[in-house]
Amino acid sequence: MDLPPIAMEDVTRRFGKLVAVRGVSLEIEPGTILGLVGPSGSGKTTIVRMLTGTLRPSAGRMQVLGEAPGRFRAHTRERIGYMPQQFVLYPDLTARENVSFVAALFGMYFRRRSQRVREVLEALGLGAARDRLARDLSGGERRRLALAAALVHEPDVLFIDEPTAGIDPLLRSDIWDQLRGLAGSGRTLLVTTQHLDEAERCDAVAVLSDGELLALAEPDVLREHVYGGEILDVRTTRKLDARALGDIPGIRRVRQRGERQFIVVAEDAAAATPRIVEAVQQRAGVVASIERYAPSFDEVFAALVEDHRSKPRAA
Amino acid sequence: MRIFRIPVRVSAVIRKELREIGRRPGAIVSLVVGPILVMALFGAGFTGQRQPIETMVVVPQGIDIPRDADMYQRIAGKSVHVRGVTDDAGAARAMLERDEVYMVVIVPTDALQKIERGEQPTLTVETNELDPTMHGAILVVAEQIVRELNAEIIRSAATQGYARLTAAGAQAPSIPPDVVAHPFKGVVVDRAPVKPAMLTFFAPAVLALVLQHLGMTLTALSMVRERLSGAIDIFRVSPIGAIELLVGKYLAYAVLSVFVTLAVVLATTLGLGIPFRGAVPPFALAVGLLTFASLGLGLLISLVSDSERQAVQLSMLVLLFTVFFSGFVLSVNEFSMPVRAIAYALPATYGIALFQDEMLRGAAREPWMLSALAGIGGSLFLLCALRLRGVLRSV
Repeated sequence: MDLPPIAMEDVTRRFGKLVAVRGVSLEIEPGTILGLVGPSGSGKTTIVRMLTGTLRPSAGRMQVLGEAPGRFRAHTRERIGYMPQQFVLYPDLTARENVSFVAALFGMYFRRRSQRVREVLEALGLGAARDRLARDLSGGERRRLALAAALVHEPDVLFIDEPTAGIDPLLRSDIWDQLRGLAGSGRTLLVTTQHLDEAERCDAVAVLSDGELLALAEPDVLREHVYGGEILDVRTTRKLDARALGDIPGIRRVRQRGERQFIVVAEDAAAATPRIVEAVQQRAGVVASIERYAPSFDEVFAALVEDHRSKPRAA
Repeated sequence: MRIFRIPVRVSAVIRKELREIGRRPGAIVSLVVGPILVMALFGAGFTGQRQPIETMVVVPQGIDIPRDADMYQRIAGKSVHVRGVTDDAGAARAMLERDEVYMVVIVPTDALQKIERGEQPTLTVETNELDPTMHGAILVVAEQIVRELNAEIIRSAATQGYARLTAAGAQAPSIPPDVVAHPFKGVVVDRAPVKPAMLTFFAPAVLALVLQHLGMTLTALSMVRERLSGAIDIFRVSPIGAIELLVGKYLAYAVLSVFVTLAVVLATTLGLGIPFRGAVPPFALAVGLLTFASLGLGLLISLVSDSERQAVQLSMLVLLFTVFFSGFVLSVNEFSMPVRAIAYALPATYGIALFQDEMLRGAAREPWMLSALAGIGGSLFLLCALRLRGVLRSV
């Protein structure tokens, strides 16, 4: 069986007394995007830096393309792309010179390099800006330039740290389209983001908080996993106390969202729907609408953190 | 073949460095033009000759000693200007206090009586000087005055003695009184091939100083900036190794240094008329080795500094060390041994000696200095490689 391109097993990283990453295990399948989501300081960048070999784990094992990151051979490094969170390219070089420099660092010969630099700048909408100094580029252009530098040598595995930080929604969507295209062409991506809604664009989502991995699953599965079943959004014509529906068989949880609206988590949404309608009618109410509900990742994340913090932490 | 990717990576670093420098030419211009301007001003304004020491001579009342200022001026020589002769020691001391004169020479009241009794009278030289250099000069001049005064008395006594002998019908000795007073006279034969003016003498030293400072300053900032901006992470993730990165940096700045050296040498030889008596190959070798060592010094500073400010401070500290200890102003031999070791750890110490010999004498008198420079450069390269390897490794 082939090894996954990226794998971590029980990885911990400490900075003095601070535990930045605590016992994280995950694997990423080839040709997929794993979104590493969580608030600032949750350990996302530390994980990326450990996987790229710039930070050593304090404990645990990790492999990228079959090698431990601290001992990457030159050949393996040539197959890895990295876009750091900060803009670290050279402000006094043009966009083209910056990307060409990174391509040469990864060993690309002149002819292929020139072609790839042109291609990647065009693909990221920087063709017209290629001869402008990096210091004269806008924030969005700089993020795309950094992405171009990470992509130029056609890596098999990409680590992209906050590609959309400080970017307007339209451009964020463009960048995610690019990332999806890369996954579509067989590349494996690990993308960190603070924008929880972007988790939707990933094949799998790892949710981090305070250095701990709270959940790892496909976005839809994660929603159901967090809420413990299929979710229904129920609206009624009259005020109704949602707690009254808690005894219905097959209903796991009910949460009031407004005087005439509540969220129901059911084992099986189709089976639960007629029972909910009946229960509402018994309480002199009428169901105005009942439909499947996809909670936002903000809600999913909030629920995960709430659940996590309610559990006692192991020493 | 992966080995062919090494020159691709090294040349990428060279191009990147040169482009960055090319985009900000102001720094290079000020680094190169600044010292040349300072040198030109120094050459135009510095005569290299100390002004004569203003002096008052005190000859007390009632003593039969000449009071002619011209005579004392002749005895004291060119390094002293006798402002006057007075019998008031208090007034002369007041002038010393007011800094109007630097030296007061006081003839004792009983000078002649003591000589007649066969005793040595004491000629007192008073000064009020804080500057140790000036103080040293005054001591030398005071000794010279005493020596010349003694000689003058001997010459005068011999003249009078000869006159008495002749008057008594005896034959005076054949040795003239001047020879009796000054049996020897000295002559200095300068075997140096040129007698450089101050500007000419200092020009090669300034060139060495500029080269060391340029190489050091440029590289000192280059690595520290990459570490602080996070660009070092690109190197950490990429396949480039510490040696490749280091070689790229060295070569980029070496190219730059060649152009700067050419410009400064042309400016000094053609523009300021400084002679170049040596051959180009040994001079080029000295330039190359000085550049190699200076770049290593700068890179080491950049690899141990935590901030740009610290890198600049360390560079300035090395410059200060160089000005004091490299033989630029004071001779290296004037320092005691532990301190002299610092002088010999500075690339510019060898650069200054080698450049002065090559440019002014026509050949290096101490070729071992080339080996020493190569040794310092090699050691610094090794230290940089070890340190950079640590920086690029996982932390």
